[in-house]
Amino acid sequence: MKQSLPLRLLLAVTILFFLLLIGLPFWWVISGSFKLPQEIIAREPTLVPQSFTLQHYAKLLDASAYPTYLVNSLIVGLASSVLTVLLAVPAAYAFFRMELPFREGMYRAILLAYAFPGVIVLIPIYGLFAQLGLVDNLLALIIVNTTFALPFSIWMMRSFLATIPRDLEEAARMDGAPTPVILRRILVPLILPGVAAVGVFAFISSWTEYLFASVLILSDDKRTVPVGFAGIIGQYQIDWGLLLAGASLAILPVVIIFSLVGRAFVSGLTDGAVK
Amino acid sequence: MTNLTLRGVTKRFGATEAVSNVDLEILAGEMVVFVGPSGCGKSTLLRMIAGLEPVSEGRIEIGDRDVTQAEPVERGLAMVFQSYALYPHMTVAENMGFPLEMQGLSKEEIAGRVRATAQTLQLQDHLDRKPRALSGGQRQRVAIGRAIVRNPVAFLFDEPLSNLDAELRVQMRLEIARLHRDLKATMIYVTHDQVEAMTLADRIVVLRGGRIEQVGAPLELYDNPANAFVAGFIGSPRMNLIPATSWRDGDGLRIVVPGGEVRFRPAGTMPPDGAAVQLGLRPEQMAVAGGVPLPAICDTIERLGAVSYLYARLADGTAVTAQVDHALAAASIGAQVSFALDASRALLFDASGRRIA
Ligand SMILES: Nc1ncnc2c1ncn2[C@@H]1O[C@H](COP(=O)(O)OP(=O)(O)OP(=O)(O)O)[C@@H](O)[C@H]1O
Ligand SMILES: [Mg+2]
Repeated sequence: MKQSLPLRLLLAVTILFFLLLIGLPFWWVISGSFKLPQEIIAREPTLVPQSFTLQHYAKLLDASAYPTYLVNSLIVGLASSVLTVLLAVPAAYAFFRMELPFREGMYRAILLAYAFPGVIVLIPIYGLFAQLGLVDNLLALIIVNTTFALPFSIWMMRSFLATIPRDLEEAARMDGAPTPVILRRILVPLILPGVAAVGVFAFISSWTEYLFASVLILSDDKRTVPVGFAGIIGQYQIDWGLLLAGASLAILPVVIIFSLVGRAFVSGLTDGAVK
Repeated sequence: MTNLTLRGVTKRFGATEAVSNVDLEILAGEMVVFVGPSGCGKSTLLRMIAGLEPVSEGRIEIGDRDVTQAEPVERGLAMVFQSYALYPHMTVAENMGFPLEMQGLSKEEIAGRVRATAQTLQLQDHLDRKPRALSGGQRQRVAIGRAIVRNPVAFLFDEPLSNLDAELRVQMRLEIARLHRDLKATMIYVTHDQVEAMTLADRIVVLRGGRIEQVGAPLELYDNPANAFVAGFIGSPRMNLIPATSWRDGDGLRIVVPGGEVRFRPAGTMPPDGAAVQLGLRPEQMAVAGGVPLPAICDTIERLGAVSYLYARLADGTAVTAQVDHALAAASIGAQVSFALDASRALLFDASGRRIA
C-alpha cells in the first residue's frame, strides 16, 4: 500500500518517539554502568559517557553474591518456562478440543484466577509450602511462577491452536494417531511460535518476580536476582554504579533468550496445509 | 472384501437433524457417490462413516462388525479431505508415510511402500518437497497417496476436487476412476456436482435435507427418477418441470400444459380430474421429429457445436430448456419457436413432486 508523504512522516515520527521513550532509559542504565561514579552523580547528566570503567562490574561479580543470584534466577526461570510450556500445551488442547463437562466454566475460572493479584494468596501459599517443607527451596518458586504464568499461557496457546485447521487433526486421527501423538507430531510443530511466546512469557514473569521470592526464600544463597539485588543496593548507602551494572546484567538473559527463540516467532508455518 | 452397511443412521446437532434415518448397503468394490445440494448432510454422513462424528442413532457395520462406536483407526478407512489436510511441516514422503508409521511399520517398509505409491501417482520426483512447494493437483495426489498407501478397507472422499480448476478437475476425476478400477477398492465419494456423480459412480445416492431421495445406477436415476427432486437434480441441463393439469381421457390422461396438451397412459393410479401436476421432460425430449407441438418464445441460445440449447418461455412464462438441432438453433432471440415434445418418454409428477408416471 502506498501512503502519502505526510502520513509516512507522521508514522516515522511516532515510531521514533516510542523508540526513544523505550530506548532512552535502557541506554541510560547501560551506558551509566560503565561511567565513573563522579560522572554518574554529576549535576549535568551526560548522554554520551565521558569516562569508561569496569569497576562496577568487577565489584558486582567479585565482591557480591550477584553471580549466585543470577544462577538461581536462571534455574527458576528456565524450569518455570519449560514446565509452563509442558503444562500449557495439553491444557490448552483440552480446553480447545475435548468434550469435558463444564469446559467453558473451568476455562473462565482459570482466567478469573489470573485476575487476582498474587499477594492475596501469599499467606495460604506460604502455609502450604511450609507444610510441604518447600520453604527456602527454589522448587517453591518454580511451582509458584508456573502456577501464575499458566492461565495466560493456556489462553495464548488456545488461540494459537485455533489457527490450525481442524482437518489436519482429523486427517491424523484417520491415519491412526492417538491424541498425544497428534499433539506432539502435528500440532506442536505448527504452533512453535506460540510455544516460544509462552516460554518467553513464563521466563520473563519468573525473572521479574519479587513478592514470592522475597517471602518463600530465606537464605541468601538461594535468592533470585530481584530480591538479592535489592539487598546489595540497600546494604551500604546507594551505590549507583553497582545498581546500574546489576540492572544491565539482569537485562542480558532476557535479550539472549529473545534472540535465541526469535526465529521461532516467524509465522507462515501452516502455508500449504489446506487449499 | 467387506460390505459397509448403514442402518437407520441419524445425526442431530441440537434440534436440527442433519441426517435422518439413512439405510444403505455399500457393496465391496463399489464406487458410491453421495450427491445433493449444499447442506443436505453429505459430509455429515461421510464423517459418521469415518468415525469423526458420533452417530446419534442407528448402526454402522463394516462386514459383520458393528463399528458404530469404534475409533476411526479401528475402522480401517482412509479419507481424502476437500482441503487435502496435508501436514505442512512434513515432506511428501513423510506425509504419505505417516499412517504407516502409526501402524508401527519399519522404516524400510515405509520407504518402500511410499515409493511404490508415489510411482503410481507420478509423485516420485517430489518426495522431498513440502506441501507448500506443490501445485494444487500435486497436493491432491499426495492426499490420495496418503490414503492409498495403507490399503484401507474403503476410501472416503469429501469433495476432493472442488478446489481445483476445471481442467485439472476433469483430469483428476479420470485418475480417481482409474484408481478405483486398478485397486478394485470400495469408495464413497461426496460431491455436489452431479456430473462428477454421473461419471464416477457405480451407484448414486441422492440426498436432500438429510434423507435419501433415491439410490441407483447413474442412468437408472436419469431415466427413472423417483421424484421431481431427483429428476431435476440429475442431468445437465436440468429436466424441465412444466406445470400442467391432468384430465381423464378414456383409459389415459390428457395433460394440459401452457400452450398445448399431451396424451399420457399412466401405469399406476390416475390423478383426479383437474389435478395440478408437473410434466417432466428432458431437454433432449423437447424438440424431436414428429413430437407434440408446443409454442414458446426464444430467450437465449447456447451453441456448443455438437449440440445447442435453446432457453425459452412457454405461454405462461415457464422457463424451459431444449436441446435443438441446427435448424432450430438458428432462431432469433424473441422469436416464436415451436417445440415438438416426445410425450412417450415424459414423466409425470404430482404437485408435491411425487412420481405418478
Ligand atoms: N458441527 C455442526 N454443528 C451444527 N450443525 C452442523 C454441524 N455440522 C453440520 N451441521 C449442519 O448439518 C447440515 C448438514 O451439513 P453437511 O456439512 O453435512 O452438509 P453438506 O451436504 O456436506 O453440504 P456442502 O455441500 O455445503 O458441504 C447443515 O445444515 C449444517 O448446517
Ligand atoms: Mg460438505
